[in-house]
Amino acid sequence: MSAQPHELATYSAQFERYANALTAAERAPRSVQFSRFLASGFPDKHQEDWRYSDLSRLAEQNYEPDVTTADGLPIVLLPDADALVYINGHLQGAPSTSRWHSDTCELPPPATGVDALNAAFASGGLRLRLDRNTKLEKPLQVLFISRAEAQASMSHQRHRIELGDQAEATVLLDFSGGGGERLATHFFDVRLGRGAKLTLYRIQNEAAGGTLVTRIDAKLSRDAKFEALTVDLGGGFIRHDLDVVLAESGAEAIVAGLYAQAKNSHIDNHVRAVHAAPHCTSRMTYRGLVDEKTKAVFNGKVVVQPGAQKTDSEQRIANLLLSRKAEVNAKPDLEIYADDVKCAHGATVGQLDEVALAYLRSRGIAKEVARAMLLRAFALEILDRIEWPALRTRIEAALHLPSELTVDFEA
Amino acid sequence: MMAANPQTTAEANVRDVTAMVASRKLYSAGFITDIEADKVPPGLSEDVIRLISAKKDEPEWLLNFRLKAYRRWLTMTEPEWAHVDYQKVDYQSISYYSQPKSMKDGPQTLADVDPKLLETYKKLGIPLREQEMLAGVQNVAVDVVFDSVSVGTTFKKKLLEAGVIFCPLSEAVKNHPELVKKYLGSVVPFADNFFAALNTAVFTEGSFVLIPKGVRCPMELSTYFRINERNTGQFERTLIIAEAGSHVSYLEGCTAPQRDENQLHAAVVELVALDDAEIKYSTVQNWYPGDEDGKGGIYNFVTKRGDCRGARSKISWTQVETGSAITWKYPSCILRGDDSVGEFYSVALTNHRQQADTGTKMIHIGKRTKSTIVSKGIAAGRGQQSYRGLVRILDSAEGARNYTQCDSLLIGDQCGAHTFPYTEVRNPTATLEHEATTSKIADDQLFYCRARGIGEEEAVSMIVNGFCKDVFKELPMEFAVEAQKLLAVSLEGAVG
Repeated sequence: MSAQPHELATYSAQFERYANALTAAERAPRSVQFSRFLASGFPDKHQEDWRYSDLSRLAEQNYEPDVTTADGLPIVLLPDADALVYINGHLQGAPSTSRWHSDTCELPPPATGVDALNAAFASGGLRLRLDRNTKLEKPLQVLFISRAEAQASMSHQRHRIELGDQAEATVLLDFSGGGGERLATHFFDVRLGRGAKLTLYRIQNEAAGGTLVTRIDAKLSRDAKFEALTVDLGGGFIRHDLDVVLAESGAEAIVAGLYAQAKNSHIDNHVRAVHAAPHCTSRMTYRGLVDEKTKAVFNGKVVVQPGAQKTDSEQRIANLLLSRKAEVNAKPDLEIYADDVKCAHGATVGQLDEVALAYLRSRGIAKEVARAMLLRAFALEILDRIEWPALRTRIEAALHLPSELTVDFEA
Repeated sequence: MMAANPQTTAEANVRDVTAMVASRKLYSAGFITDIEADKVPPGLSEDVIRLISAKKDEPEWLLNFRLKAYRRWLTMTEPEWAHVDYQKVDYQSISYYSQPKSMKDGPQTLADVDPKLLETYKKLGIPLREQEMLAGVQNVAVDVVFDSVSVGTTFKKKLLEAGVIFCPLSEAVKNHPELVKKYLGSVVPFADNFFAALNTAVFTEGSFVLIPKGVRCPMELSTYFRINERNTGQFERTLIIAEAGSHVSYLEGCTAPQRDENQLHAAVVELVALDDAEIKYSTVQNWYPGDEDGKGGIYNFVTKRGDCRGARSKISWTQVETGSAITWKYPSCILRGDDSVGEFYSVALTNHRQQADTGTKMIHIGKRTKSTIVSKGIAAGRGQQSYRGLVRILDSAEGARNYTQCDSLLIGDQCGAHTFPYTEVRNPTATLEHEATTSKIADDQLFYCRARGIGEEEAVSMIVNGFCKDVFKELPMEFAVEAQKLLAVSLEGAVG
């Protein structure tokens, strides 16, 4: 059952403290969101969308607001990119080189569950707004560094990316740090004008421990193109929702993802493409290397609304299950209300091909190397889509899979 | 089989069906049989359950089993996750027991059965009369369930010679209480889900089958269910046990008269397959689907589950779902025994305002267990069609394999076809594949048929039958023919 208000007492206390610092006008909409949160509580496994990712355990937590400094934290900036750096939700002036930040945020219509919690407490964050026919000169790297505090802490941010007609941008959402008892939620509101093009990377490589809930809502106008690529390499409890609405004809959404290398994580990707207009295209390609004690969840959903004829959509999910303790839950859904459509989906779960492994071994390649080669080949489907060389190098390094053949004849 | 001997009853039945199809466009089983019925007043309470139990002269343990389920049911809520939208059932307005009056003293032989009842089944094309069946090559034993009671079971003698027990469940409770006690509720626990708990509390009739060790059932067994009485629900319960090394093929058919109000059908079917046993369970479900505007029709909320308890056992579900206003049905296999096999073949059609949320669950527990799922969904008119399937591979299921294919065909732009395939894998040696496609009838195929002088409706029906071929070939012969006809009738008016 949903968490009852009395169980959320610590959150109420936090909210009271937080709301007291606001003006009356600021407080009213926040209170609406918070009361919605109290009414719905944290989502639990009885809610279909949270079947495998129960958050009700957070109801008992006592999270303090963050007080954070950047001292001594390693901040890795990619070359040839502008940067915005947030530590536990707070903008860090010095390393940041980009001006696309806003202290304030817009609130959504009253939400439920985690979305409402986010809206009740949210501070500002990234706010990128490009006029028509403009192009973001350098890619923008937005770092969200989570830093463990002495006591459990939480932060909530709302971001917005708005591209005018024919505008173009490349943005990297870069989640790292972690390790302590933390709760962070992020909401990204993405709007693409006619013919606009956004390439959005999301890389998550946190240490195990905390809870990270991110949600990207993207709305595409006519002929807009949205390319989203997400890579999860670690983390504690990770839930990522990507919700794309193809609102006008000719819009195209190409989303891909890789989850690999995590040791003891819960990684839940929920991806939804809503075809609301005819002649739109969506592609979902996800690959998972699920090892150690990781629990991976993938839920893809393509919705073709009435009248969205000539929809072309495809979902492909492939998983390699590499350990006895690991678990994969995959669910590629289709909801189709129009008849002249092309919708296909496929999901597989398997293990490394023993024959391929034996072939490589018979040619004198050490077992571990052969294994890594095959794993890398499996991940290439996603890695090859990364068109940002410095970023790709960083991800490949984190994957620890050899990119070149090394033959050890002694082995 | 039938082509070889055109004089068979089966052929005659097919002709009957064809004639019915030709004579009218609508639901062909929608007649009401005018016989007096002994019906319990509407409403559900412990008293009603005690009354049902008393009417059936049940032992104490069974009554307690029912009451336990009822008490649990009161605490449960109706599931809402299914992709269907319907007016909730008022469980107090249903009569939970209806028995044709003339049956009160219990017919001893088929000759004692009310001729009107037999007439009903004749209209439906069920070969009830033994002599007719003996004349033909058709070799099927039938148990017919009319509202809440079983009308008669054919071929009893021949089955007994083989050691097969095939009788109404209430009879089995009297004659083989130890078997019923051992297996009833062992596959679908009394509180498994909302509708199963309701069924456990009020179930009235159903079939009981036991195939002894090493026996290959000499004929196909069949049950025909029909809801006749107004404001009644049907809550039958079927229990099939296949002992080690045995084999049985079981057919189930369903119809109901045309009525403006919705009627509830909440059945439970339990299958148990021991070592090396095989159960093949086929269903042609043709409950009244409601009219074109979605008025009336049966709510078909059914729990069907097979337990492959023994090593190398096999349970195969084949279903053709063309009827019912709302379908909520997931025939499942628990693959407990090592090397056991589960299969699910399904054709589901929704036309007009029908809604179906159907699929299967394959739970892999034993080593090297295999499952195959082939689901074909057809949505026409304003029909909503959902496939919902779960493949769960537990960590003990070394080398388990699953193959799932679910295809949807859309006819018209007002309908919907949805797929919700859940996969949960906890063993790294398991292999699992899921494929699905959604499309409409290809214009070039239609054009090809039309160019050869085939009418549009006939062409559509032909293409749809081709689409369903993978499933139809799994059906026993008589059912395959019936299924094709049913599909054609159900699709009428969907094109053009």
